[in-house]
Amino acid sequence: MNDIIIRIGGSAGDGVQSSGLSLAKTLSRSGYYITTYNYYQSLIRGGQSWYQVRASDEVVKNQGSGLDILIALTEDALKRHTSKNINEGGASRLNGIAIFDDSMITNYEKYDDVKYYGIPLRDIALKYNSNPLLKNTVALGAVMASLDMDFSIYEQVIKEIFSHKGKLIDANIGAAKEGYEYYKNNYKIYKSIKVEKRKLFMIGGGEAVGLGAINAGMQMYFAYPMTPASSVLQFFAEHSKKFHVFLKITEDEISAINGAIGANYAGVRAMTGSSGGGFALMTEAVGMSSMTEVPLVIYEAQRPGPSTGLPTKTEQGDLNQILGAGQGDFPKIVLAPGNVTEAFNMTKEAFNLAEKYQLPVFVVSDLYLAEHIETVDFDLKYEMDHGLRAQENDPNFKRYEYTENGISKRSVPGQKGLMHNADSDEHNELGEVVSDVITDPELRRLSMEKRMRKLDTYIKNLPPTKTYKMEDAEYVVIQWGSTKGVIEESIDSLRSEGIKVGAIEIDHIYPMNHDIEKYLKNKKIIVIENNFSGQLNKLIKQEFLVDTKFIGKYDGEAFFPEQLENILKNIIVGKPILEE
Amino acid sequence: MIAMDEYKGKVSPDWCPGCGNYSQLRAISMALSELNIKPEDAVISSGIGCSSNMPEYINVYGFHGLHGRLVPVAEGIKWANKNLTVIGYGGDGDGFFEGTQHFYHAAKRNVDITYIVSDNQVFGLTTGQASPTTPIGRITKDTPDGNIEPPFNPLHYALTAGATFVARGLSGNIKSLANIIKAGIQHKGFSFIDVLSPCVTYNKINSYDFFRKTTYEVKDNNTKDFYEAFKLSSMWGDAPQSIPTGIFYDVQSPIYEDADVVLSKYNLKDTKPYQLTESDLEEFY
Repeated sequence: MNDIIIRIGGSAGDGVQSSGLSLAKTLSRSGYYITTYNYYQSLIRGGQSWYQVRASDEVVKNQGSGLDILIALTEDALKRHTSKNINEGGASRLNGIAIFDDSMITNYEKYDDVKYYGIPLRDIALKYNSNPLLKNTVALGAVMASLDMDFSIYEQVIKEIFSHKGKLIDANIGAAKEGYEYYKNNYKIYKSIKVEKRKLFMIGGGEAVGLGAINAGMQMYFAYPMTPASSVLQFFAEHSKKFHVFLKITEDEISAINGAIGANYAGVRAMTGSSGGGFALMTEAVGMSSMTEVPLVIYEAQRPGPSTGLPTKTEQGDLNQILGAGQGDFPKIVLAPGNVTEAFNMTKEAFNLAEKYQLPVFVVSDLYLAEHIETVDFDLKYEMDHGLRAQENDPNFKRYEYTENGISKRSVPGQKGLMHNADSDEHNELGEVVSDVITDPELRRLSMEKRMRKLDTYIKNLPPTKTYKMEDAEYVVIQWGSTKGVIEESIDSLRSEGIKVGAIEIDHIYPMNHDIEKYLKNKKIIVIENNFSGQLNKLIKQEFLVDTKFIGKYDGEAFFPEQLENILKNIIVGKPILEE
Repeated sequence: MIAMDEYKGKVSPDWCPGCGNYSQLRAISMALSELNIKPEDAVISSGIGCSSNMPEYINVYGFHGLHGRLVPVAEGIKWANKNLTVIGYGGDGDGFFEGTQHFYHAAKRNVDITYIVSDNQVFGLTTGQASPTTPIGRITKDTPDGNIEPPFNPLHYALTAGATFVARGLSGNIKSLANIIKAGIQHKGFSFIDVLSPCVTYNKINSYDFFRKTTYEVKDNNTKDFYEAFKLSSMWGDAPQSIPTGIFYDVQSPIYEDADVVLSKYNLKDTKPYQLTESDLEEFY
């Protein structure tokens, strides 16, 4: 892939992320497909953080390996990202140019394979404004020059970003232009990729879930703030008025899920969301949604646990919790989108499934998916499926009627002659409790079977499981969620070396599609997950009684392609591509 | 006026004979009937406990949820459809142990729901353990040496949280209780009604006789005066006429639904969801 990887390194408070966003926007506006990677800590000031943008004239599936251009805002950043012992969770060291302020950063080890392009970032910035973050703009101007880009696009991006702070527009444009000129006058163009002019939207995983929910007709969102689920909450906070979506920050997550259930019971599409810790508080009500057969969409954005864990890092460690949430056996559906576009589409799908089957549906994400940005093109077509609804005054209405497919007609408050009791206790077809008065083992059995039959119906209607290059595969990688893009790229790379490997991409994770079985016969199966114990791996073994090899990563960072290729090759042909 | 029979549920209550909940069922039905609220336009959200079984016994929309969580469910229903009359109904164990944070914040928000607690000062359905309102020294199933925790005062809690309607009712005095519930439903904002309700099986002390002797109905109190309400809420004892009942506090304050930027403009149940178009993606360009 003809790509460019640019990283901005500094500390919290240095404007690393906002500079990264400006860079991503300028590249996207120029016609590049991009994806971003955000490495940060739970800090307001200090520590070390970096933001990476990968850009190409082809669709970019992950954050990429290698590093072409580094903007080092601190001495620490310059040292870290050039070091041969780089230790950033799989991210590559610099093998290209370092842009930094050589009047400020002087004490560092020089490597032969790195070009050190010093620019007096601070002195240039001070000519325009005393704002310390202006030096980032100078550096970004230099990056635009290094890529032989048209300055006017960056100029336009600056105008839009600072549109509400009029005075800063001119200062930023001046500083950027001078950084651009300084680079042109002193250094060579690093790389020039010809890109077509195309209109791309730059959307994060959290925003995609928010937009998907709006597209699906969601009108209410209940949540308690928790990273990394908060990007969805933030999206609704900023768009509540425009989309007339009611946003409620509740006193706790228990209230959030119970409120969302109340709203859905009253006939309005509502969603709740949290990360693993907050979701742990919600678990009892998940079963209540299923027992009362009230539709519910739950967004769960994972971060590494246990307990408070790593608040600003990524992991896929909550699958067990989601599958096991709530006492007793009850039907639920778990969806796991693999990228930003899928996050949008599957959120839309979740709302229809929830109403059609009258049960809780999970959209499972993680910090990497929720907080990185991709250039996407969304399909906004959507038909709301409200499922079976009863007609007013139907004399034969039984809210929980025992039907063949398990689905019964639903009524909502306000509808005449369809009053009933939605009960968290076990109940009969009419919603009458079977445990207190009637105590009837037969009714319990029938009610249980009625609810569980909905999953049989759902499985029959599942789309075929997604696969990647499985036609002649001898090795099968099984993945779920945000590892999709990095696994596909690793497979491409291994295939270019003649290794016949393909992937099964499980996005409808529970209940699982039986069609997976046909791909597993006589294959060597490798399950890759961003967790310690192999939570999907255990499920695969249990469902299909197969032997597997599990690859896990639990250092808080996503897989990087070169790192994964290396591990896969080591397993398949017994030798790594790279020396460790 | 809609006939009382319209509110009669298909299932008969399974409460113990003489339980205070019977009077509350009747008082709630009476209030709905006298206020002409159609069965399809009323929702009762309940928790878990003897009293919380209410939705089965009354012919309105019912949601019998989880222990302590009836308030958030009620809020979700109200915010989805402001046209509904939403009543939260549960016990003292349900609302004043696990449900306290929801109770507090709903009162603080002044959401327009009516929250009625059947307060029998004991856990009934789990067979007689001490509840948050069990008096100090009381011997119960799980406090064999006497309860050592001071009781929770739900009226104080509601008042300090910001509830705009606070009342104490008495099971057995159906007419008076129905009037309080009617006022609570009509009140615009969060209404809290603590109903003293004898548990004939597990609380032999706070019986009908006890309350007949100790309670009296307040007259001519100033329901706009927070401190007077607070004082009335504090009064309790074994002596004759030491426990006041009635409406202690009733003031107007902006409700949550009118303050919220979306709910103030829309009744979401009757509003077509926003139609997302290509132009909405422009901000991501």
